[in-house]
Amino acid sequence: MMRLAALVLLAVLAALPLAVRPSTPPVIWLATVALVVGGVGVLAWSVPLVTAAGSLVVIAYALALVVAGPAADALLAIALGATLVLLLAIVHLGGRVRGAFLGPSVIAAQARQWLAVVGAGVVAAVGLTAAAAPLGGALRGASLPVVVIGAALGAVLTVAGVITLMAREGSPRSDP
Amino acid sequence: MTWRPTALNVSFLTVVGWALFLAVLTGRAELAVVAVPAVVALVVGRRTAPPPAWHLHRELSDRRLLEDECVSVTVTLRAEGPLPLVELLEPLPPRVDLARGRHHAFFTLPAGGEIRWTFELRGAGRQHLRLEGPHLRVWGPLGLAAAETQHRAPATVAVYPRHVPIRYLPYPLRTQTFVGNYVSPTQGEGIEPGDIRPFAPGDQVRHVNWRATLKLGTLHVTQHHRERNADVVILLDTLSEVGPDGETVVDAAVRGAAALAAAYLARKDRVGLIEYGGQPRWVRPGAGRAHLERLLESLLSASVVFTYVNRDLDLVPPRILPPQALVVALSPLLDRRFVRAAADLAARGFDLLVIAVSPVPPARAAARRSAVLDVAARLWTLERRAELDQYRRRGLTIVEWDGAEPLDAVLAAFSRRSHRRVLAG
Repeated sequence: MMRLAALVLLAVLAALPLAVRPSTPPVIWLATVALVVGGVGVLAWSVPLVTAAGSLVVIAYALALVVAGPAADALLAIALGATLVLLLAIVHLGGRVRGAFLGPSVIAAQARQWLAVVGAGVVAAVGLTAAAAPLGGALRGASLPVVVIGAALGAVLTVAGVITLMAREGSPRSDP
Repeated sequence: MTWRPTALNVSFLTVVGWALFLAVLTGRAELAVVAVPAVVALVVGRRTAPPPAWHLHRELSDRRLLEDECVSVTVTLRAEGPLPLVELLEPLPPRVDLARGRHHAFFTLPAGGEIRWTFELRGAGRQHLRLEGPHLRVWGPLGLAAAETQHRAPATVAVYPRHVPIRYLPYPLRTQTFVGNYVSPTQGEGIEPGDIRPFAPGDQVRHVNWRATLKLGTLHVTQHHRERNADVVILLDTLSEVGPDGETVVDAAVRGAAALAAAYLARKDRVGLIEYGGQPRWVRPGAGRAHLERLLESLLSASVVFTYVNRDLDLVPPRILPPQALVVALSPLLDRRFVRAAADLAARGFDLLVIAVSPVPPARAAARRSAVLDVAARLWTLERRAELDQYRRRGLTIVEWDGAEPLDAVLAAFSRRSHRRVLAG
């Protein structure tokens, strides 16, 4: 059941870059490769393979945006991010519980927890998108290097902040 | 218990890194939006408050088993606060199989909730099965953080060698003074009728043989044979070992020794044990159910111990090896030292029976099957047969046993009853 849910999420994830019209062959190829790699990852309950597939989907999505150049669509991006989080969580749990006894309501409790976290992520993304719209208008006159430097700084700070939070709690450890 | 981030954080960071890198590279804000749910998950996933308190109790259904019997392990976990996902793992020691259930489980507990988790373990070989205690791991949201510990509650289960009942036991040549199941040639109180003799003052009226009295004209009484027990000493050879772990020739000999001990003790005999190996150990002859457990406990740790020191059976005190005891030796007869010791015992007048446990089947089980192996096994069997014949000519009484077939069948075929009548009381 969990494997089926993961496969469905993977199919949705791989199809999302193709929703950016018009689709080009490189995007289709990248999405196909992501589907295959992710499929193997789901069947083997391998988080690294599914992570690779997720990264490929993000690259395919970026390529689709660059090639097609459509108008900004935050909903598609939020759906992609939320699906990716759900897929990684399901595959991680599937690998952990393989061969183990599952008590009653474990899956239901986990599903509730995942949906709550993803829901919070979606709300945050919608909020940030809404907040960014007036900021975009304010920055319309800014020169490109300033925007790029600001965005890069923001990205680096985000990653550094998350790493700092993790490092404060201890080093990452392997799952059983 | 402290929270630690799991490897899943690296996966989330990878995706976030790609999304933000590509957002900056392409100048598309949607890619930054892709990273937001993952960043929120990473932030939500980090835990600072310690996990709620919990109480774990583990219970074993039995502390003594025979090989291939099962012990039921019941774990009870109670949480004072909510535990969305808790993982329990009881590591399995070597030579222990899972008979029923799983030794690894996941549960969800509400505040004040309690779960009971049961599984069964089967001891695949004689051992002191030691369970250290279950590992407990509490998972944070999405599996991004985990806190783990081990509930230290060491428990030991003694898995004794399995023993099948034996009906046809070798009879001892000599009996002892206590009441038992062997018919002694000495006259006295007993059930088995013996000689008829004239009545003497002090004889009981119930012993009067009326038929003989009427025939002979004077009072005659029937005498009875006494029923006596015997001393049996099991001599176990732990000088050499052949075969895969758990199915070695020593394991077969230990099972045979356990079966013999149980059968002789059931006949009210006193049974002792001598483990003749690198470190000789012994158990003084005794009787009763408690003594059987003592013997099984000693057999549990019987193993080959290498040493350069060559010890002899002369070291064994007479109270451990009584002169009139029946000595049943179980040995693969691979080590010359044991053969010398057995020949020495026979020469000293001990009533000795050697059960030669064949090392060929365990050796075959340890190697990969091939035509060459079959030929080698056949040649070894022939050589062994010739060797055993040679020992027989030297005065040793030897019974061959392959370790797999029931020992009872081997002993039934070995008919010593006709010439092993009890000689002295």
